Amino acid sequence: MSSNHHDRPSHSRQDEHEFGEERESLWRIAFAPTIWAFHFAISYAAVSVYCFKFEPVASMGVLRAGLIAMTLAMLAAIAWIGWRAYLRWDVRGTGEFSNPEGSAEDRHQFLGHAGFLLAVVSFIGVVYDTLPLIVLGTCR
Amino acid sequence: MTRDPRAPRSLPPGLSRLLLASPLLLAACEGRQSVLVDGGADARILNDLFVVMLIGAVVLWFGMNGLFYWATRRSPAPHSQKLANWLVILGGIAFPTVTLGALLVYGLTIMPDLRATGDGPVIRVTGEQWWWRVEYERDDGSTVTTANEIRLPAGVRSTFLLDSKKVIHSFWVPSLGGKMDMFPGRVNEMTLGPERPGIYRGQCAEFCGESHAWMAFEAEVMEPDAFAAWLDAEAADAAAPQGEAARRGAALFLAQGCGACHAVRGTPAVGRVGPISPMSLAPFARRRAAGHLYGGFRQVGRQPRRVEARRRDARL
Repeated sequence: MSSNHHDRPSHSRQDEHEFGEERESLWRIAFAPTIWAFHFAISYAAVSVYCFKFEPVASMGVLRAGLIAMTLAMLAAIAWIGWRAYLRWDVRGTGEFSNPEGSAEDRHQFLGHAGFLLAVVSFIGVVYDTLPLIVLGTCR
Repeated sequence: MTRDPRAPRSLPPGLSRLLLASPLLLAACEGRQSVLVDGGADARILNDLFVVMLIGAVVLWFGMNGLFYWATRRSPAPHSQKLANWLVILGGIAFPTVTLGALLVYGLTIMPDLRATGDGPVIRVTGEQWWWRVEYERDDGSTVTTANEIRLPAGVRSTFLLDSKKVIHSFWVPSLGGKMDMFPGRVNEMTLGPERPGIYRGQCAEFCGESHAWMAFEAEVMEPDAFAAWLDAEAADAAAPQGEAARRGAALFLAQGCGACHAVRGTPAVGRVGPISPMSLAPFARRRAAGHLYGGFRQVGRQPRRVEARRRDARL
């Protein structure tokens, strides 16, 4: 009982250390979907405002080029986040696709795995969001 | 009992009869209100979209069931981790991404054609409860108002300004194009480019009350010259009733106060609540979709039987 009591502070410190490391990864897995959300909101808002207010007076060219440039920058950012998450997952090194154990290393790799998949979904989402801008290029 | 294995196996008689009769079901694909019988470019584009999606769905159905058959009957042993991984990556990520991307691009490429600017007449259609107010804008700025019947010139794109009085309706002529909702307080614009003259049927496609099912109309596509002549004739006052029954009908119409809600151009009947007929009330009596009139009456507490009995006696 007393030994357990003595062990607890050391476990807590260890957990605190490990979770402290993962706290950053936990934030990171949300980065790619957040970029996707911003891309969606900015694209739709900008095109809606343009079509409602400025279509008769200005061509869509500048807005279109600007949004495509923003898309490329966001895709690059998502690709970078996805690559970092892929390295954290370390599937090539360990050969493990799923990380079912509760160890710190498994948590680390699992968050890399989740972050990678979310980056893939976000990348596809951003590409789909942009297709109307590329294919249509008009308010109609 | 032995049976020659080379002899062709015959189907049970019931199933044979069912299979023989099944082409009759295709008869439902014809008709004035079918998306599969296109009367213009818009409906043809939507028809093509339907066929592409149908073929894709059939191919996918066979593909998935083929995989299922292969995995359960042909190769039921556990697959290697590598094969399973590639199956997930290719079948679960790459294939849907590419297929949905291709469908999205296809859908986007047909949108500008469906939403092209109109170069024909501008027609304001308002969803009432439960009928259609139809107003044609003429070149001189005047409008011609009719009800429950829309006429369109073939070969040009007509513009529809869709509005609604109280509840949400939806404007749809399946043989001419897609549908669009009509909201109170908001004008939605759509264009249709009919090509083949004929009479098509439109139907409210958004449940709008008890008489929703009656809220139908006829869309007649005419040659442009015939359309112009018809519109000129519609702009004129109503023709005087011809014959004893018609005269009695007109007198009854005015005497019973029908003009408080309905209008007949050139007569004291100038109401705007109910359907309007600028020529005479004859179109109401002969219209096949007249049922909505009785439905509407039922909704506002009128007596459809009385109207029906009068219609028998006097030609409206």
